[in-house]
Amino acid sequence: MADDTPKRVLVIDDATLVRRYYRSALERAGFEVAEALNGVEALEHLLAARFDLLVVDVNMPQMDGLSFLQTLRAKSLPLSSTPALVTSTESAPQRIAAASAAGANFYVVKPLHAEALVQYASLLCGIRHG
Amino acid sequence: MIFTEAKRYYVERRAVDRMLGTRSDSFEHYFGRLRADVQGEIEQFVNAFTVNETYFYREEHQLVCLTSDLLAARLTVKPRGEPIRIWSVPCSTGEEPYSIAIWLLENWPHVDEYDIEIVGSDIDTDAVALARVGVYGKRALMRLPARLVDKYFEADDGASWRILDDLRQSVRFTAVNLVDRANTRLHGKFDVIFCRNVLIYFDDLARRTAAENLFENLSPGGFICLGHTESMSRVSPLFDVARFADAIVYQRPMR
Amino acid sequence: MPLIRKPPSAAAPQTAAPALDARAVLEALARGNDDERWAAARAAADFPAAVPALGDALAHEKSPTVRQALFSALARIATPQSVETILPFLRSDDALIRTEASDALLAMRDVAWPFVPVLLRDPDASVRTQACVLVRDMPSPVAVSLCCDLLDSEPDPNVCAAAVEALAEIGEASALPALMRCADRFRATPFLEFSIRIAIDRVRSQVLNPRA
Repeated sequence: MADDTPKRVLVIDDATLVRRYYRSALERAGFEVAEALNGVEALEHLLAARFDLLVVDVNMPQMDGLSFLQTLRAKSLPLSSTPALVTSTESAPQRIAAASAAGANFYVVKPLHAEALVQYASLLCGIRHG
Repeated sequence: MIFTEAKRYYVERRAVDRMLGTRSDSFEHYFGRLRADVQGEIEQFVNAFTVNETYFYREEHQLVCLTSDLLAARLTVKPRGEPIRIWSVPCSTGEEPYSIAIWLLENWPHVDEYDIEIVGSDIDTDAVALARVGVYGKRALMRLPARLVDKYFEADDGASWRILDDLRQSVRFTAVNLVDRANTRLHGKFDVIFCRNVLIYFDDLARRTAAENLFENLSPGGFICLGHTESMSRVSPLFDVARFADAIVYQRPMR
Repeated sequence: MPLIRKPPSAAAPQTAAPALDARAVLEALARGNDDERWAAARAAADFPAAVPALGDALAHEKSPTVRQALFSALARIATPQSVETILPFLRSDDALIRTEASDALLAMRDVAWPFVPVLLRDPDASVRTQACVLVRDMPSPVAVSLCCDLLDSEPDPNVCAAAVEALAEIGEASALPALMRCADRFRATPFLEFSIRIAIDRVRSQVLNPRA
């Protein structure tokens, strides 16, 4: 079934400038964007509305991105299967493994390029977790 | 909103509150944040002009949530015979705890089947004293239907109404400092805490301490409601986020 | 007779646990169950001598709730020793522990500030980034100076981005030259270029509204 409604992305990062950069790139590409500054705020958004994709930073105050993902994946469907792109400053294999174990679908090392973000977002909005 | 010269002090106080809340050390710095809408400052600024108003049935959706979902959830895990305990803190001059009492009487079919303890607490002992007296003006009652004013109040003079004694006796008032653990612990464990529009005024350390105190004052699985513009995302990771039809609330995890 | 039926002994809420002395705190931190370790961690805030024991407890504590109370105790004790006890946890492999440690330092504010210049030169880029978050709340002349120095020599664009974020929020005109030099250095990093452009705009709008 063709779906013309814009895909909704929740950008989860404590840095205002990062959220702004992602928002501008994603909105230009036709996505609808909401923002959260940490995992707690992200959960509040997700319990109130459906999203097609999460872009999740790892290091955030109160609740980090991996703890957030673990909490999310423990909830019931369909919420728990929302695709998640984890962004991180770390490239070490054990950090990537930790993200995967927490429930990441995709992992990208920061800083992210606007075009790459849009490509990954478009790709991931067609994939369901699990 | 329109403000006359007479309201200058009111406006200045709200602007200063937002400057403190954003740690702006000059008005120019704050104004820059406001114009650029940094972290939703426009909304925060607007809310600052309504947040400290207290009146009966304020944030009614949380009262709906209380009787639609929160009490039922608590009753599935509470031992039989254990009273239901609800805390309104800060209670200011009593509008919130009395509202809870009236709301329960009007909207909860099981209100007569359980022992219910409603406690209202505030750091301002003058406000607590006024809460015990229970006399209110027209503005505080503006959201209450006339039928409820007639039912639960008696006219005190032309411009004020006194809560009926039977209702006044349904609420216990205390003084409390949320940051003082020895003080908060005396209040025991609650099923539901309403803690609206006070944590935003604390600095990081005080907010953290208050959140831990409130955590201790909740039974496992108990709920805490913040003001509708507030979020635990800026306060503490101790609580789970819980969504119900009428409100997002926070929950102390069950063991 | 109240309209709401109250419990018979309405004046008697559940009793609070007895206050713990220093020895009981240390004992419970090491050997207590979840509730006992939580209570001991909270009580430890009154005993500066408990700092080493709090550090030991943090090294093994698996419960995030108890860890929150342990970090809070260190934040409330607020001595240089408590800062030093927290710092190693900024390097944890566990993202949540890094967050908890960072939040605790933010709550300690002025006690943590003397450590910031050293943290800004830490070999670990993640620690340098967290130091930039601490810088944001420091008095603005010092904060601006530290961020600008960092922007002139920092090789990692993510750390630069954190310093740019701090400068954008502080909004001081004296940051402009360093911001522009950093933009030159990182022409190949569009995100950083974008961030610096926004920061420059923000700073310039402060300049147009000079302080009295």
